[in-house]
Amino acid sequence: MEHTSGFSLPNSGHNRDAEASKMGMWLFLFTELLLFGGLFIVYMVYRSLNPESFLLASFELDVTMGTFNTIVLLVSSMTIAMSITAIQTGNAKKSILLLYTTLGLAIVFLIVKYFEWSAKIHHGLFPGFEVYDNLPPGESLFFFLYFFMTGLHALHIIIGGIIISVVIHRTNKGLVNKEKYTLTENAGLYWHLVDLIWIYLFPLFYLIH
Amino acid sequence: MSHTKDNLHKEEQVHITSYKDHFSTLIALLLLTVITVVISVFGANLRSLSVFTALLIATVKVIVVAYYFMHLKYDKKIYTWLVLIVAILFVSFAVLTSIEYLNR
Repeated sequence: MEHTSGFSLPNSGHNRDAEASKMGMWLFLFTELLLFGGLFIVYMVYRSLNPESFLLASFELDVTMGTFNTIVLLVSSMTIAMSITAIQTGNAKKSILLLYTTLGLAIVFLIVKYFEWSAKIHHGLFPGFEVYDNLPPGESLFFFLYFFMTGLHALHIIIGGIIISVVIHRTNKGLVNKEKYTLTENAGLYWHLVDLIWIYLFPLFYLIH
Repeated sequence: MSHTKDNLHKEEQVHITSYKDHFSTLIALLLLTVITVVISVFGANLRSLSVFTALLIATVKVIVVAYYFMHLKYDKKIYTWLVLIVAILFVSFAVLTSIEYLNR
């Protein structure tokens, strides 16, 4: 049979390189780490300039909700790691179930975040509100950084959720299987990165009393 | 069959982490989380100590996640080296920024 596509290399579509894919994913993760790293340095500098205000403002955050979300993310990190074990041992069904669990936990995280943010916005602690505008400069900075950094992190949770959905879809179709599971591994790496960033965000914003 | 040269070049022995090992990693991470929260909530009067320990415990958690969940333990050493280089780059920038600030 003739190839229907206009251009095709011999053996095209068969040149998988799991190692190169993984290296590519790690290089991308490094850019992510430095992006958040820069924000952490901004936090560090502003905090050393306004230690008292940062301390006062941090008491507004709900430690219980923060701890709950930390646990949710840690458990989801385990479930996605387990889904790789499942696909490696040829159990696609179990892998999909564990991926759905991870997705469910991601949604739980976002729901808790939604309640946290709404409570803050309700109290006028969001940039643009009167209460926020009248805060001492240090405290408004704390809330600005809180919304920006947890917002950027939440965006990563959403993107991670989309990636996990793609893995579920492709595993369902058999495109991800016992021999070809790089996609699951890379989705796992991305998801663990999201967890890593939260591991630092949580103590820096919620636990600095 | 013993390790022939050919076998060593084919990196076919993929390490599969057991469910039990993943679960143990999670338990360790949860314990560290509990410790941080307890120190922060009950050690409020030891402020500087609690910030330092919170960051220290966070770093231990990050190492556990990277080493076990992100598979650095079983992957080629190049990944560990790259992670270390990025970490050193970040830490030196953070330290230099602090020194600059402290010398004003």
